[in-house]
Amino acid sequence: MTHVVLESCIRCKYTDCVDVCPVDCFREGPNFLTIDPDECIDCAVCIPECPVNAILPEEDVPTEQLQFIKLNAELARKWPSITKRKTPLPDADDWKDRKDKLSELIR
Amino acid sequence: MNLALHAEIADTANAHDLDGGRPIETDAVIVGAGPVGLFQVFELGLLEIQAHVIDSLAVPGGQCVELYPDKPIYDIPGVPVCTGQQLTDNLLAQIKPFGANFHFGQEVTQVQKQADGRFFVETSRGTRFLSKTIFVAGGVGSFQPRTLKVDGIERFADTQLFYRVKNPAAFAGKDLVVVGGGDSAIDWALNFAQSGPHQAASVILIHRRDVFRAAPASVAKMKALCDAFGMQFIVGQITGHEEQDGRLQGIKVSGTDGVTRVVPLDMLLVFFGLSPKLGPIAEWGLGLDHKQVVVDTEKFETSVPGIFAVGDINTYPGKKKLILSGFHEATLAAFGAAPYVFPDKRVQLQYTTTSSKLHKVLGVNSPVFD
Repeated sequence: MTHVVLESCIRCKYTDCVDVCPVDCFREGPNFLTIDPDECIDCAVCIPECPVNAILPEEDVPTEQLQFIKLNAELARKWPSITKRKTPLPDADDWKDRKDKLSELIR
Repeated sequence: MNLALHAEIADTANAHDLDGGRPIETDAVIVGAGPVGLFQVFELGLLEIQAHVIDSLAVPGGQCVELYPDKPIYDIPGVPVCTGQQLTDNLLAQIKPFGANFHFGQEVTQVQKQADGRFFVETSRGTRFLSKTIFVAGGVGSFQPRTLKVDGIERFADTQLFYRVKNPAAFAGKDLVVVGGGDSAIDWALNFAQSGPHQAASVILIHRRDVFRAAPASVAKMKALCDAFGMQFIVGQITGHEEQDGRLQGIKVSGTDGVTRVVPLDMLLVFFGLSPKLGPIAEWGLGLDHKQVVVDTEKFETSVPGIFAVGDINTYPGKKKLILSGFHEATLAAFGAAPYVFPDKRVQLQYTTTSSKLHKVLGVNSPVFD
């Protein structure tokens, strides 16, 4: 099992989650974060940190976002590790409530 | 929080840590004072196994107290609802008969198997043990202060930049900047701004917004003190620092007006809260899987005989990270450890309802049935 970063993170990247991860399992892309499923220990500490509720345990991922499980695993393999919180993307607040952002994802 | 109980624990902890250089000899060392570590004391206690408990935090409770003290927990068997703090207080009351010794504010830095089969354990504060068994109840790791993310400023850690106050005298008479919006930040700012033995020359509090997580009464006191020119409060984020001749001279604070100002200082105190890190447990030579300690499900023993792992830190097929699972694990681990502590004794399962031996250990009267 693992935890998964979902669509809400795209174009926001608040990075609050990164600071609390005990095993440094977050990976950073241009406008999205992912969790490396091979590192995540399911401690769930990151869930309440995310201001846009983008993180869920694998088994709670809603049907329409199931593809994010595979996407997290795939992107985690090529993106670098992020272990310290940084400033969110400049227009994060404008994007945080938008839906259907997958087309905005920069790989 | 049950203050009387906590004071008592602090006293025994101090008495033991002042015990000179000789290692403390004990049956069991429990690493972690969260709910499962506390219940481990209980299960070991019933088997008459004495335990010392080590935790990086200053108080017992682990994640329950650090991450969600006021959130209700609904899945403790027989307890329809309780908060993390209540659960901790109840466990402390439950283990009171066993007189476990607590060592707070320190983490285990070294574990070494000795020729006689015991383990040598040393903490970051230099407390040392020789123990027959070890119970790792480390949860998600030890809680460490979140650091200030400004490039290059980490060089001043422990000389001018501090994440906790170990020695208040070091801040007396200094130009002090305190950063954060929680209770620690406000309480320490007030402490150093008010007249007393450790009063600073000046105190400036910086927080990213004008809303605080700290207790409203403390915030009101802080604002009153600002109005009386006893201290100053600035809204802003720290974006850089200035240094000269190897000394931190000041920090750059970007205000909500978009202007960056330089605030000069002698000492910088940062309180951004704590976050868990798995830390040195990963280096003890225990078999790991995904940075979790692998155990069997018979005794919850690790790959190193005599070292057990219970609660959120362990993993096995079907593992569920629930407090109640940790209680079960602690129970079987205690029985699993008994042969190391009492090699010649056959340990029998007894019930707290009926066993007069257990009543004696618990310090209760055996009921009389007519």
